[in-house]
Amino acid sequence: MALGAQRRTDLLRGVLDLCLLAVMDEGPAYGYEMTRRLRDRGLAIVGEGSIYPLLGRLEREGLVETYRAASNGGPPRKYYRPSGAGRLALAVGVSEWRAVRDAVDAVLAPVKVEVAT
Amino acid sequence: MTDFVEQCRREWRRLGVPDPVAEEMAADLATDLLEAETEGVSVEELLGSSAFDPRSFAASWAAERGVVPARPDGGPRRRRPVGLIAFTAVAAVAVVVAAALLLSGEPKVSVVTRTAHLRVPPPVPAPAGAGGQVLSASAATPVEWILLLLAIVALGFAAWLWSGWARSRSSDVAV
Repeated sequence: MALGAQRRTDLLRGVLDLCLLAVMDEGPAYGYEMTRRLRDRGLAIVGEGSIYPLLGRLEREGLVETYRAASNGGPPRKYYRPSGAGRLALAVGVSEWRAVRDAVDAVLAPVKVEVAT
Repeated sequence: MTDFVEQCRREWRRLGVPDPVAEEMAADLATDLLEAETEGVSVEELLGSSAFDPRSFAASWAAERGVVPARPDGGPRRRRPVGLIAFTAVAAVAVVVAAALLLSGEPKVSVVTRTAHLRVPPPVPAPAGAGGQVLSASAATPVEWILLLLAIVALGFAAWLWSGWARSRSSDVAV
């Protein structure tokens, strides 16, 4: 994996659970639907691993609720939505993310990036 | 794609994931992969590097979801080996004791490794009827050094056993 892609994967790994909680907070979603919502926002590269083990962990920790329902006439799918604890974890996580993002921005903002063409 | 799901299913069966749970996960994965395929999204794009390692992917998913039953002989929650802990503790104490004895000065304990019984004539003419005097000469080896050596060897052996235990534990966790 290229260095840039590896870094994006590493950065995303720490907040992917928040991203999943956020996209399912917009409306219940099944696994692939969440991938699609992430991709529509530019998070196409999940890189190593995938969302499935993460969804399993969120389920085990009681941060999501699940139910089965048909999807547009297709086979029944497992839908996920944040539980009360999940919404709380999302709120706390977003707050932490913003604090880290602002601090990192403060450090990196003065850096001038020159790209050779 | 079907092969990928089938390999996941086999791994879940091997890990002892309950059949209904494994079937549910396999069905969800299969429908997601099918939908992705119809949209032109490859398995690699959907699953990342996991697409090339279905067994690890399946094991990781099941473990994160908490549906892998604990093994009776230990597994990820393997208990600490009490015997090994005791053995390591005894060896460590022995090293400390031997070192302390050696540092404290002259050896106070020794082992008689060789004893020669000499029958020599008495220095003065013995009275009539006396046959001679028995003397004992011994070459002593400080027992502290032997104890220290044995304790160090035992400690090394314990370290080797611990490394084996840690390796088996980490491989269990990885599964």
